[in-house]
Amino acid sequence: MDLDFKIIGNDICIKLRGEIDEYSARSLRADIDKLIEAQGFRTMTFDMKDVTFIDSTGLGLVLGRYKKLKQQRAELLLKNIPTQVDKVFRTSGIYSFVPIVK
Amino acid sequence: MNNFFDMKMLASGKNEAFARSVVATFALACSPTVEEINDLKTAVSEAVTNAVVHAYKDDTGVIEMLCEVNETERSISVSVTDFGCGITNVEEAKEPFFTTRPDDERSGMGFTIIETFTDEMTLRSKVGEGTTVTMKKVFKGC
Repeated sequence: MDLDFKIIGNDICIKLRGEIDEYSARSLRADIDKLIEAQGFRTMTFDMKDVTFIDSTGLGLVLGRYKKLKQQRAELLLKNIPTQVDKVFRTSGIYSFVPIVK
Repeated sequence: MNNFFDMKMLASGKNEAFARSVVATFALACSPTVEEINDLKTAVSEAVTNAVVHAYKDDTGVIEMLCEVNETERSISVSVTDFGCGITNVEEAKEPFFTTRPDDERSGMGFTIIETFTDEMTLRSKVGEGTTVTMKKVFKGC
């Protein structure tokens, strides 16, 4: 899947799409990490609007990017979270350290 | 007699979407809500991921999925069995955030999600023989 993203200054917003599970996570993770490594961002926002399904593998991917960005003193933000994704995220307590933005 | 299916598939990430979709379609006989179907799909995905990632590691293997609906009770029971390495400590494996593969960015939330998203979960495992996760979901919405 080609990543759909928009960079404004030091901030990047990535529009994630479709189902994020064991099958899709590997290439998605590699694609996002290429962006993280290519440029020092201040914030990275995941726009989840078009994510139709996520499971704990997808959750692991999000948590992993949070850690990676934190090492670079960058912040991960989440936006437009669908109900199914929200339920998985809430179970993990991710919202206590990854903020949701409008 | 309750309607059921029993199928075997390759333990591959490729089959995860198929596994959760087939269970979701089967559950339609119980008129679940969209949220209930999503809960079920998420739980099935976790069980299949466990078999793919943990049971067989880098080897190939087979997953058996047995599914039964009780239309009167409006419930579904799904068993996911692998014939892989088994779990040494079942109670520890069920702990939130516990994972044997943190290096692989595993969240350790698989069993917690199954327990939270379904009404009952049982886990049976024998080292060297395999693991069966059984979940039951009762559809209460209308």
